[in-house]
Amino acid sequence: MIVDATQGRALRMTLDGEEVRFSDGETIYEVATRQHTPIPTLCYDPRLEPFGGCRMCVVEVEGARTPVASCTTPATAGMVVRTKNVALEKHRKTLLELVVSENREVDVDPLRGYASQEVATLVDEYGARTGRFQGQRSGTSNETDDNPFIKRDYDLCISCYRCVRVCAEQEGDHAIAVMNRGFQTQITTEFNGRLKDSACTFCGQCVQTCPTGALGDIKAMRAEPLPGELKKTRTICPYCGVGCSVDLLTKGERLVGVQPAMDGPANKGALCIKGQFAFDFVHHEERLKTPLVRGDDGELHEASWDEALDRAADGFRRAREEHGRYSIYGVASGRAPHEAAYTMQKFIRAGFGTNYIDNCSRA
Amino acid sequence: MSNPLIDMEKPDVIFCIGTNMTECHPVAATGLKKAIAHGSRMIVADPRKIPLARLAQLYLPIRVGSDVALLLGMAHVIAREGLVDRQFMDSRTSGGDEFIEHVKPFTPEWAAEITGVPAKDIETAAIWYGSAEQGAIYYTLGITEHICGVDNVQSLCNLALMTGNIGREGTGVNPMRGQNNIQGAGDCGAVPSHFPGFQSCAEPENARKFSEAYGTEIDAEKGITKVTALNQCGDQIRALLIDGENTVVSDPEREHCEHALKSLDHLVVIDIFLTETGELADVVLPATSWGETDGVCANTERRVQRLRAAVPPAGQAKPDWWIVSQIAQRIGTPGFEYESAKDIFNELCGLSPIYAGLDWDRIDQGEYQWPVPDKDHPGTPILHVREFKNGRGLFKILGYRDPAEVIDDDFPVWLTTGRRLQSYHTRTQTGRSQGIDYLLSEELLEVHPHDVASWGLVDGGQCHLSSRRGKIMAKIKATDQSPRGTVFCSFSFNDTPVNILTGSGYDPVTETAELKVCAVRVEPA
Amino acid sequence: MALLSNSDIIEHWKSAAAPLLPVLHAFHDRDGHLSEDALRAVSDGLGIPIAELFGSVTFYHHFAREAGGRDAPRVCTGNICALRGAHELLDALRSEGATPMPCAGRCDQPIPVLRGDKVFVGLTADSLAHGPTPLPPRYPGDGEECVFSAIREPGRATLPGYRNSGGYEGLEKLIKSGSPGETIELVNESKLAGRGGAGFPTGRKWQAVADAEGESKFIVCNADEGEPGCFKDRAIMDHDPHAVLEGMIIAGYACGAGQGFIYLRYEYPETFAGLERAIADADAAGLLGENILGSGFSFRIDVRRGAGAYICGEEGSLLNSLEGKHPFPRNRPPFPVTHGYNQQPTAVNNVETLASVPHIARRGAAWYCALGIGDQAGTKLISLSGDIERPGNYEVPLGLPLQTLLNDWAGGAPHGREIQAVTMAGLSGGFLAGADLNVTLDEPSIRSCGSFLGAGGVIVFDDSRDMVKAARDAMEFFAHESCGKCFPCRIGTQRLTERLAGEAGPASLADWKTEVEDIGSTMRATSACGLGVAAPMITDSLMKYFPDKVEKHVQT
Repeated sequence: MIVDATQGRALRMTLDGEEVRFSDGETIYEVATRQHTPIPTLCYDPRLEPFGGCRMCVVEVEGARTPVASCTTPATAGMVVRTKNVALEKHRKTLLELVVSENREVDVDPLRGYASQEVATLVDEYGARTGRFQGQRSGTSNETDDNPFIKRDYDLCISCYRCVRVCAEQEGDHAIAVMNRGFQTQITTEFNGRLKDSACTFCGQCVQTCPTGALGDIKAMRAEPLPGELKKTRTICPYCGVGCSVDLLTKGERLVGVQPAMDGPANKGALCIKGQFAFDFVHHEERLKTPLVRGDDGELHEASWDEALDRAADGFRRAREEHGRYSIYGVASGRAPHEAAYTMQKFIRAGFGTNYIDNCSRA
Repeated sequence: MSNPLIDMEKPDVIFCIGTNMTECHPVAATGLKKAIAHGSRMIVADPRKIPLARLAQLYLPIRVGSDVALLLGMAHVIAREGLVDRQFMDSRTSGGDEFIEHVKPFTPEWAAEITGVPAKDIETAAIWYGSAEQGAIYYTLGITEHICGVDNVQSLCNLALMTGNIGREGTGVNPMRGQNNIQGAGDCGAVPSHFPGFQSCAEPENARKFSEAYGTEIDAEKGITKVTALNQCGDQIRALLIDGENTVVSDPEREHCEHALKSLDHLVVIDIFLTETGELADVVLPATSWGETDGVCANTERRVQRLRAAVPPAGQAKPDWWIVSQIAQRIGTPGFEYESAKDIFNELCGLSPIYAGLDWDRIDQGEYQWPVPDKDHPGTPILHVREFKNGRGLFKILGYRDPAEVIDDDFPVWLTTGRRLQSYHTRTQTGRSQGIDYLLSEELLEVHPHDVASWGLVDGGQCHLSSRRGKIMAKIKATDQSPRGTVFCSFSFNDTPVNILTGSGYDPVTETAELKVCAVRVEPA
Repeated sequence: MALLSNSDIIEHWKSAAAPLLPVLHAFHDRDGHLSEDALRAVSDGLGIPIAELFGSVTFYHHFAREAGGRDAPRVCTGNICALRGAHELLDALRSEGATPMPCAGRCDQPIPVLRGDKVFVGLTADSLAHGPTPLPPRYPGDGEECVFSAIREPGRATLPGYRNSGGYEGLEKLIKSGSPGETIELVNESKLAGRGGAGFPTGRKWQAVADAEGESKFIVCNADEGEPGCFKDRAIMDHDPHAVLEGMIIAGYACGAGQGFIYLRYEYPETFAGLERAIADADAAGLLGENILGSGFSFRIDVRRGAGAYICGEEGSLLNSLEGKHPFPRNRPPFPVTHGYNQQPTAVNNVETLASVPHIARRGAAWYCALGIGDQAGTKLISLSGDIERPGNYEVPLGLPLQTLLNDWAGGAPHGREIQAVTMAGLSGGFLAGADLNVTLDEPSIRSCGSFLGAGGVIVFDDSRDMVKAARDAMEFFAHESCGKCFPCRIGTQRLTERLAGEAGPASLADWKTEVEDIGSTMRATSACGLGVAAPMITDSLMKYFPDKVEKHVQT
């Protein structure tokens, strides 16, 4: 029997005292996540190349002089890793206290974005609202960008660069970048101008990966004062054929925003400007709310469902009687669900025995 | 698509033709950008220097409507350079030898004459694609909206077949669907040629099956297309039911279209807004919108996914299926006693072999790509892996034809049309979403800066744009995104009704209009 | 001469190795600043997204974005210059658009002022003068020098002068009658270790590069001498440039590399010109380029100028900067020896390390080893500055008592003052004071006091100096140079600076110390590179040696 040498070689390491297997190329953080051993992070987004900036994920590796960033350090055979101990937890708390000290505020409305609660959640978990390390604040909110979609509230920025990295690595637009250095670091566009004048396509991915709400979904934020609990409903974007999964944000009976589904099979957290921001047609005042029937005056008038449906049915019945079954035609929508297209074709086929049905794809 | 979206990160050579993907399918385009970042090479053929072209290592600026010539030239080079995948051709295809003989006269120099692309670049493209380990083709309406749309698609298939770039990960011939459920409309049988699940209407057995299921005798021959039906309005066609389409603005030959709809005895429109088309109707029925409707849709990679309602309907709006079922019941058609979208979807799954393994509950997480022939089947991310649907992949012998309309002294400029990133179709939705106007508030006719100067136009000024079918006003934007001698405009804005101009011809097989080519005149206003 | 057009510049550099920095410098030199138009041309020409290019340009201190900015005076307000009136000089030059710059690496001279391609030194605006880099003082020891052993020979900076004093003999010997393996073996036997501060054995580094798989391999000479109080590399490059080249060629031969880069700090414009000259001469003599000395081995060297960023002395940042990327440090592993320039195997060596190699090649490993005292092998250059009678570069045998250097060699504190403290490793090692001044100059001894020798900068503070102020200046430097990639360093250096400056922080001494210690401890444990790990040595050593001064500072 031939044995595959690579398959026979089981890679093993010790994670918090337990021996675990891993595959070549996995980082310590990935192994730990797979083992349901939570490690806190702020600059990590599983879709992006590990960055190693926030240092929250540092772990102790036997033989290493100092803790290592688990997100960037590959697991190696025989490695002995401890993800939690008093010293590590103290460093994490100190880091969070430092983060709190550089920002205007930590608590933001979840409407700002998908990941906007990450910092506040960790700060609470570590009890890091101690008011220690007071000093200058970092980042300056951009008050001059007049775009109606993306709030650039950099007072809350913690320089994790997830926005910059998602724009480059996921969206491929490279519209934003890191300006200056150290404590003066600021997220910028080319020549520090408006997003509109940059390569930004307003896909919103930077907003959704921001862990502090420094980047906020302006359209969703309009609903902050609305009463009621924020609910999410998973559905599919209504625009092109890619079929991105989205979560609809609702408060009461109001659709207030859209967030991409990070586990969406077709989009993995990505959206475009239409899917992200063009949702409020749903509540537009011009929505048709009652059936309309053309009156003798030649104008369309509001009517009851019964009246309108009878009128609609009459017309088809009369056409069949007067001009035969080939006088009726149906055009289904490429925008409505399966059930609409299915009933449309069945309406024609079952109703008139013809195949006089088409959809709008020829346009 | 023959291959899943996730495959877009995998090819080593990407060939995009007639697809403005970064604007029309932006999320799909991110896959290509990632592939390029990881070292893949991309060829883009398009008359316009679209953003995708700027990302490509090789850009082929073809003249509008010259795709077949380009693709024949590429096939010639692939054959000449010995880049043909013999094993694949012998085991999986038929007609290959004839095809290779057929392309002998179509040299890159010949193709260069027609397309305007340097012969050297055509050769490079062919060699890249022909030598690819994983070569993938992506296209959209720039391929199909031509009188030779079918020829264009078949030319792409020929390239894939001769190089074996199909049926494997990271390869394929991949049309990008433009509407959220246009794939689903076809899957559900809303086409004149096929019953649900692409079961041909011309097969008597299929007609029998549906006649039985629906309790009515159904014709065992295909029906007419919408284009033909519009031509027959007021004549053979007397009553029309339109669900969710703004025909007047989206279809070509606007005046003809309006006239057709006006000459009907009975027009019923189901929609979420009162569109230009609804204005002409006898009855307008308010449908629930996205966000208010439970249902199912299928995306461009044949993935069947759930739509879920999150808010109650606006006013008295009702789901499309409820409205259609009510009309059906009122004219006495049986079988429309549905209580939910679930009932309907499950009925579809029972009648469609490609959905046979699915039901409402199984698609909850959206992990299935059809065909899913039975409940144990994992779905089919990649088509044609072991065999083609009808056995062997067939090469098609075809030649180049000029567009229905070519430029001349009266109409010396090519017009091509399409979409833009920020707006969708006729703006019934994006036009009513706050903020979009900030980025795109009006339509602009894109003209090369040199043409702006030599035609006496002004950047930002107005022009008269006329074709053999009509005349409109448009505002000029000087941009090198348009090549010299070709102008571009989207069909999104009702006040720049470009569909008054288009409609020079239709593909004889699909009856898809040649919206991508039209001869026009541009004059200062 | 007609000015070069945008496309002339782009075309000239486009296919060169590591083109971004020279392209930016070409525009900067042509226009006197980097205009929006220039950056857009570079973005298009090199295919770098404009936002990223803009962001990276703002990272570098010396790229001027306003017209005339390049040639406006930059006054060094580094730690030593600040003690000598740099801020007054800066004020005097404000009318000419003068701006401050961090330590410009001339701490043994009066205050340096950079104007375009020239550096002037002087204590007042009237006395600014341009002149050559001082030669190292005559060797005061009773041992033997290595790197400086021939540097005072007449004409040593020229190719004939270099060859007259034994130059290129080592290369010739190795290349003609040795092998790459033997070369590495020789360096291993010499126990030469990285003299830039990290102290990694040079032979092992070269072996790793030689063993690594890669399409091409690179030698990078780290000449970004940015550590305050360090100016030894410039002395070598100005007076013995061929030694650096020869060291690089030998390294290239040993590692199997075909290309070398010298990454030179911006503040050394005259050095840049000198290196370019030396490379051209070596090229013409067949010592560089194709088929060196008929051996079949080919190697070329390009100098790339930085633009003012201390962090670019960190090898990951340096490599990113060379590649035209944002100069953040890289995550390690992987290390440059396998994934360096363009992800290819790369040996990054300091100037001093490379300049030692020709001597070792010529005189043998045993000779070099024996230069040290006791167990210590070889020598180390020390840049000595501050309150000291004879500042300058000294080549000491490793293991020499610090007091011998300070008092016997360099004459002790001037004006009858006492030495209060010295820094180690420039600023990165923090302060040594009191009994700890009795260390010997080698890593084991200095590390036992919680500091390290590093690149060998020693700044002396006499007993008149305010050590809290000295610590604050040092921390301000680290805050100014922190790249912003990792949280502990980015926020920590800022908070420590504020506390040392009395701008923020608890009023109670106990709380103040706890905050400072906690920040320091987290910076040391979690920072992503050496900057953040080293910076808290300043506060640690301040609190260790000068607790009374800290107490007074907090209470006032």
